[in-house]
Amino acid sequence: MAANASGTLVVVVLIAVVNYDIIARGIFNKPFHGAVEVVQFSMVLIVFLQLPDVIRVGRLTRSDGFLTVMRHRRPAAGRWMANGIDAMSALFMVLVAVAIWPEFLEMWDTKDYFGVPGVFTAPWWPVKLVIFLSACLCTVHFILHIFTRTGDDIPHQESGS
Amino acid sequence: TETIKAVVIDGYPARALWVKEFTEFFIPEVDRRLAETGNYKMDWQESYGGTIVKPKGVLEGIKLGLGDIGIVTTIFHSSKLPSQALSAVTPFVAADARAVAKAVDEIAKEYPAMQAEFDAQNQVYLATGVVLDTYQVFSREPVNSLSDLEGSKVAGAGMNLRYLEGIDGAAGVRGGLTDFYNMVQTGLVDHAMLWPEAASTFKIAEVAPYMLKADLGAVNSKTITVNKDYWEKLPDEVKQVLQDVAVEYRDHVAGIAMDRAQASRDAYVAAGGTIVEMSPEERKAWAMSMPNIAAEWAKGLDDAGQPGTEMLQAYMAKLKDAGFEPVRDWAAEAATN
Amino acid sequence: MTPLDIGLVSIVAIIVMIYLGVYIPIALGMVSFVAIWAMRGNLDLSFALLKIAIGDSAMEYTFATIPLFTFMGLIVSKAGLGADIYAVMNQGCRRITGGIGMATVGANAVFAAVTGSSIASASVFSKMSVPEMLRQEYNPRFAVGVVAGSSVLGMIIPPSAMLIIYSFVAEQSVGEMFLAGVVPGILLAIAYVAAIWFMGRFMPRAVGGRILEQDDLMGWGEIAAKTLPIIGLIVVVLGGIYTGWTTPVEAGAAGSLLGILIAAVRRRINLRSFWETVIETGHITAAILFLITAASMYARMLGIAGLPNELQTILATHEFSFFWIMALLVVLMLFLGTILDTASIILIVVPLFLPLIDAMGLSLVWFGIVAVVAAEIGLLTPPLGLSCFVIKATLDDDRIALKDVFLGALPFAFVMLLVLILLIRFPALSLAILN
Ligand code: NA
Ligand code: NA
Repeated sequence: MAANASGTLVVVVLIAVVNYDIIARGIFNKPFHGAVEVVQFSMVLIVFLQLPDVIRVGRLTRSDGFLTVMRHRRPAAGRWMANGIDAMSALFMVLVAVAIWPEFLEMWDTKDYFGVPGVFTAPWWPVKLVIFLSACLCTVHFILHIFTRTGDDIPHQESGS
Repeated sequence: TETIKAVVIDGYPARALWVKEFTEFFIPEVDRRLAETGNYKMDWQESYGGTIVKPKGVLEGIKLGLGDIGIVTTIFHSSKLPSQALSAVTPFVAADARAVAKAVDEIAKEYPAMQAEFDAQNQVYLATGVVLDTYQVFSREPVNSLSDLEGSKVAGAGMNLRYLEGIDGAAGVRGGLTDFYNMVQTGLVDHAMLWPEAASTFKIAEVAPYMLKADLGAVNSKTITVNKDYWEKLPDEVKQVLQDVAVEYRDHVAGIAMDRAQASRDAYVAAGGTIVEMSPEERKAWAMSMPNIAAEWAKGLDDAGQPGTEMLQAYMAKLKDAGFEPVRDWAAEAATN
Repeated sequence: MTPLDIGLVSIVAIIVMIYLGVYIPIALGMVSFVAIWAMRGNLDLSFALLKIAIGDSAMEYTFATIPLFTFMGLIVSKAGLGADIYAVMNQGCRRITGGIGMATVGANAVFAAVTGSSIASASVFSKMSVPEMLRQEYNPRFAVGVVAGSSVLGMIIPPSAMLIIYSFVAEQSVGEMFLAGVVPGILLAIAYVAAIWFMGRFMPRAVGGRILEQDDLMGWGEIAAKTLPIIGLIVVVLGGIYTGWTTPVEAGAAGSLLGILIAAVRRRINLRSFWETVIETGHITAAILFLITAASMYARMLGIAGLPNELQTILATHEFSFFWIMALLVVLMLFLGTILDTASIILIVVPLFLPLIDAMGLSLVWFGIVAVVAAEIGLLTPPLGLSCFVIKATLDDDRIALKDVFLGALPFAFVMLLVLILLIRFPALSLAILN
C-alpha cells in the first residue's frame, strides 16, 4: 500500500536527517537549521501514513478479552458487538476528517507556514492534507472490518509496553 | 450582580513570571474595579501548563473558543502574526522592557495591522507584554569584541539566529532554552544568546562565565487576547476594565522583568561570572554587519497591504522620543529602499 | 454536573468501553468528544478540541524518540546483541543455583539500555533463555516468570517509551526522565537477583534446575566480541544524553544508525528484513502516537471541565496526606493494570494526579518514575498482561500455558511492588543522579 510504504520511508528519512545534522554541526560547523521542523513534519507523516495500515492489520490498541469470550460463547452477539465497535470507530475517523478538512482549506488559502522566516520555514497545508486523507482511509478500513471480520484474532500489543 | 465566567489559558505553568502576575495582578485588579460598581463579577477558571493547550496552542485555543482569555506567545507564530516581530527585527535599539512594551503596544493600537492579524484568528487584542530586558552573549572563554565571535558556534532561537548572519564564519545553532547549559558545557557551542534572567535560572554562569554585554535589545513575546465571540457578548463596562487593566499589566510585568534582570546580573557575578561591556564601536560594527532584517520585515508587510514601513518608522521614533538612540537606524534605510 | 462528576462519569464510561473491547484511542476520543458536547452544549467546541488535539500532539519534536528508539531496539535484536550479552552473563553465573535466572535478569538489564520497549526484551529472551532453562530442568513456571519479570526492565532503564510518554504528559525533560530511570532500573534488577537467590535457597522445588558442566567456555576474546558492540551503543546513547552532547532525539538517531552498521557488519540483515523492521517501527509509532493523541484530547477535556482546578480546591480544603494520595495512586494503577496496557494507564491516570502532586510541591520527575513503575506492574498481571502474552506467543510450547506464565511472573510482580514502595518512600533514589 502506497501510504504504508511512504510512511515507512519517512522513518529512514528521519534517521538520516538527524544524523546529517549531528555530523554537519559537529564536524563542519554548518548545522541544518530545518532539523527541528523536518523532524516534526516526519512525525506527522509517520503516524498518519501508517495508521490506516495499523487498523487494516487489526493492531490498534485494545483490550479484547471480553470480546473473545463473547465470540466463543455467543458468536452472534459477539459479532454484533465487534461490528458495533468498528462502526463507532469509523464514525470517529469521520469526525476527524470533518474537523481537519476546513483546516486544510484555510492553510491552503493563507499559505501559512511554521518555523522562522529567514531561518527555516515549511508550509502547514501538507500536514493537514495528510491527516485528512489518513482519516478517510482509516474510516474505509474500519468499515471493511465490518464486512470481512478478519484480522482481529491476533494479540494486540502495539502500544509498545 | 451578574456573574460572568472566564476561562483563562496559557500553556506555560503557573509559576512562569507572566502567568503568575496574571493570577496575582491582572485578576485581582479586574475584580477590584468591577467591585467598585458592583454590576458584574467574574468567575475565573485558570487553566495553565498544558491542561487545555500547550504553549504553541494558545492562539488556536482562543480562536476555537477552548479558552476565553489567553496569553499568546507570539514568537511561535511568525506566519499568522508577522507584525509582532517588530522588536525582534530591530536589535541594538532599546534594552528596556518597559519602553519596548509601551512602544509596541502603542503601535498595535495606532495601526491596524496587529489587531487585524489577531482578528483573523477570531480574537481581540488587549495588550503586549515584554518579559525579557535584552539578549546578551554568554561565553565559555573571555570575549571582548566581535572578532571573538568569528568562526564560532552560537546557540540561539528564532529570529536572533539572524543577528549572526554578518559575522564571518559564525554559525547559529538552534536550541531550546533548557538545552543551552548542556550545549555550552559540552562545547557543542562556544556562546549562547539569552537574557540574564534565563541565564541565572539555568545556572549558565557555571559553564559560560563570561557575559558580553552587547545589549541586543528587549523583545516583545506575549500578547493578551480575548476570543472574539466571547468579547462581543461582554458588557461594555467589563470590556473597558479588561482593556485598562491589560495596559497596567503590560507595564507591571515589564517593570518586574527589569527588576529581575538587575537581580539576575548581580546573581551572575556572584556565581563567578564576569560581565564585559561591549564597546560602542564594536556594537556599531555588529549592527552594521547584519542584513537589514527590519527592512525585510517592513517590505513583507507593505507587500501584504499593511503599513509596514510606517509602523517601523513610528516605532523607531517612539523609542527615540523615549530617549533611546539606535545603534543603527533600521527605519532610515527601510525608507530609502 | 460539576467538573468532578464529569471527570468520574467519563472515567467510568472509558473503562466500560475498554472492557467491552473498544479500541482504546477510540474510547478516549469519543468520550471526550461527547463530554464536551454534553458539558457546553456546543458541537463546535467538540470539533475544536478534536482539531487542536490532533494538530498538536503528533507535531512534538521529542516524540521522534519513539520511532528512533523502537527501531534501534528492533535492529539490535536482529543483530543478535541480546543473545550475545545473555551468553556472556550466563557463563559468569554458571555455578550458582538459579544462576541462569540471574544471568537473564542481568542480560535484560544491559539489553534494556539499548531498547525502548519491554516487548522486544520479552520476545528476545523467551526465545533464548526459556529453552536453556528447561534443558537444565528448571521449573517451567520459574523459567517463564524470570523472563516476564525481567522484561519489565526494558521500560524502566532508559531509553524507555513510557518515560517519553510521561515527559510529554507532565512537560518534563525527556533527558532528565531518562537519567532518573537509571538507578530505579538497576535497583529493580538487583531486587530480582536477590529474589532469585532467596527462592533458590528457601524454595528450591519452585526453582528446580541442576548445574550442567559447560564443556566449551568462551575465551576473553570472544567475550569481548560479544560485549563491546552493546557497550559501545550504550556509551553513544546514554553517554550522549548524560553529557549533553546529544538530545534524546539525536541519541536515538545515532543509536539507530550504529545499530544498522552493527547488523550490517555482522551480515544479520538484508534489504527485506531491514524493510520489515522499519514497517514494524512505523506500526508501533503510529499506534502509540494515536493513543497519545486521543489521551491528550481526554486530558484537555478534563481541563476544560475544570477538573484540575476542582482537585486542587479539594486538596486544599481536605489536607489529604501524602500517604493516602500515594495509596490511591498505587491501587488505581494496579486495578487499571489488570485490563490496560502501560501507555494507556499513564495517559489516563497521570493527568488526574499531576495537579495534586504539583500543588504538594513534589518533584514531577520523581512522580514520573513512580507512575511508570506502578503502571508497568500491569505487564505481569492477568487478565491483560502484555509481557506474559508475548512470552506465551513467542514460545509457542504446549507444555507452558498462559496460566503458568502469569503464575511464574507473580513473585516478580510482588518484588516490583516492594521496589515501588521504596521508590515512593525515598525520592532520592530517582533524583540523586540529576544533582
Ligand atoms: Na530501555
Ligand atoms: Na495486567
